[in-house]
Amino acid sequence: MPNVLISATSMIKIDRYYEYDLMDLATQAVVKLLEKTNENIKPDVVIFSNTYAEKTVSQVSLASKLCNNLGISAMPIRIENGDASGGAAVSTAYYLLKSGEIKSALIVGAEKMGDFPASYLNEIVSENLNEKYQEKVGLTTQSFSAIQMKEYMKKYGVTYDYFAQWPVYMHKYGSENPYAYLKFPVDLKTVKESQLVSDPLRIFDTAARADGASAILMTNEELGKKISENYVKVKAVGFSTSEFRIGEIPSVHGALKTLGDVKADLMEIHDSFSINAALILEEMGYPRGKSLDNLNEIPVNPSGGLKSRGYPGGATGIYQVSEITQQLLGVFPGHRISGNKGLVISTDELGTSAYTILLER
Amino acid sequence: MNVFPPQVWREKETLYRLIGGKCNCGNVIFPYSPVCNKCGSTSVSKIKLSGKGILLQYTVTYQHRPGFEKTQPTYVGLIKLQEGPEIIAPLTDVDEGELKEGDKVEAVIRRIKSDSNNGLIVYGTKFRLIKDGDK
Repeated sequence: MPNVLISATSMIKIDRYYEYDLMDLATQAVVKLLEKTNENIKPDVVIFSNTYAEKTVSQVSLASKLCNNLGISAMPIRIENGDASGGAAVSTAYYLLKSGEIKSALIVGAEKMGDFPASYLNEIVSENLNEKYQEKVGLTTQSFSAIQMKEYMKKYGVTYDYFAQWPVYMHKYGSENPYAYLKFPVDLKTVKESQLVSDPLRIFDTAARADGASAILMTNEELGKKISENYVKVKAVGFSTSEFRIGEIPSVHGALKTLGDVKADLMEIHDSFSINAALILEEMGYPRGKSLDNLNEIPVNPSGGLKSRGYPGGATGIYQVSEITQQLLGVFPGHRISGNKGLVISTDELGTSAYTILLER
Repeated sequence: MNVFPPQVWREKETLYRLIGGKCNCGNVIFPYSPVCNKCGSTSVSKIKLSGKGILLQYTVTYQHRPGFEKTQPTYVGLIKLQEGPEIIAPLTDVDEGELKEGDKVEAVIRRIKSDSNNGLIVYGTKFRLIKDGDK
């Protein structure tokens, strides 16, 4: 089966773009990507990774519209699997390329979350809850996360300060990332005194919801080497699903297991909440109840993660893959971690599905 | 218009009557599903849950969704229902500082939200504390 490469990546700064619509942002990411390739690319498949377009911009047929805007004819696919859409899109492209039936796939993650006040964003994100009961009775995902935190605090005897370490580290890294939405450092005191969202969850524990677009070009090895010398290999992908569960994220455990025994030099994980970062790290084998105590020793989220780089819904996973690719190539313009193997863990808001993507220089 | 009657009406067994499923394997599911989420069996029968349970954990939420302004802040609990399932559900009739882990709770029907244009009201199940002196 053909080897699969990531031949080019691009990102725009995550921000509130009042002047641009969803397709504007997606197109900007593609234009930036094309500037990096030697050849005029006509991808066989175009995948649009997006979670909330029906509610945020009242649009469907995203991939077809993007193809038409770009003047190309390809197999258009829109992929939505909550905030794990990016992981789902890259995994899908991986298998299409492995089949040998296609040579290239353009994957564009774009999301528009910056136009709305917090209450409407809560409404949008509550689409992640179940239809029969949770969404109907007005719940929000923040309440689930707060309860998850309190159970963790009880089980391991830690205080809120334990979780506050995560946003401090993320903002330290994110302050170096030119693509980051909240590009500033914060201290422990600022985090601890920030707005209470759902006791004990504070605003800095949540993801910074904003607009973003990132594009990647995935190809087989033969075509990829013609396009650019700066590529990384997609070595393997893994995936799993599970219900929301207190004290663990079984989907992440499952997705790591399908990947086999992997030692990555760096990783980007989906820290929708600080507690999710702790639980994901613990599924990877870092000590339970202590994973956030030694963040200086864990090569995780040099982008600044969802806290500082920001959270553009279904584009998030595409950012993660772009970031790890650029890290492995030594061209990421922010905080650098060197290494040959990088891991992306793309999950949805509460961790009910997870994709693991292993990249290698 | 933000309330569409069929969308609420079709969930009446879940929202008003707390109908769950019981699998032959013993697993109890809420909301009801014809397939067991533990063993995958389709031998799941409908049962009416008692609505009684224990509050395992709770939070006070200060952010809300449009249409829920009147119930701010919102108390939300992790509840272990008598029949087994653990659910996350809104709490009601709560005074500040009175919740504690291990409290007994029971299901009650409450107004969830109303449509700002035509006044349609959505009702659903929330949970309240069973206080000393209550039956």
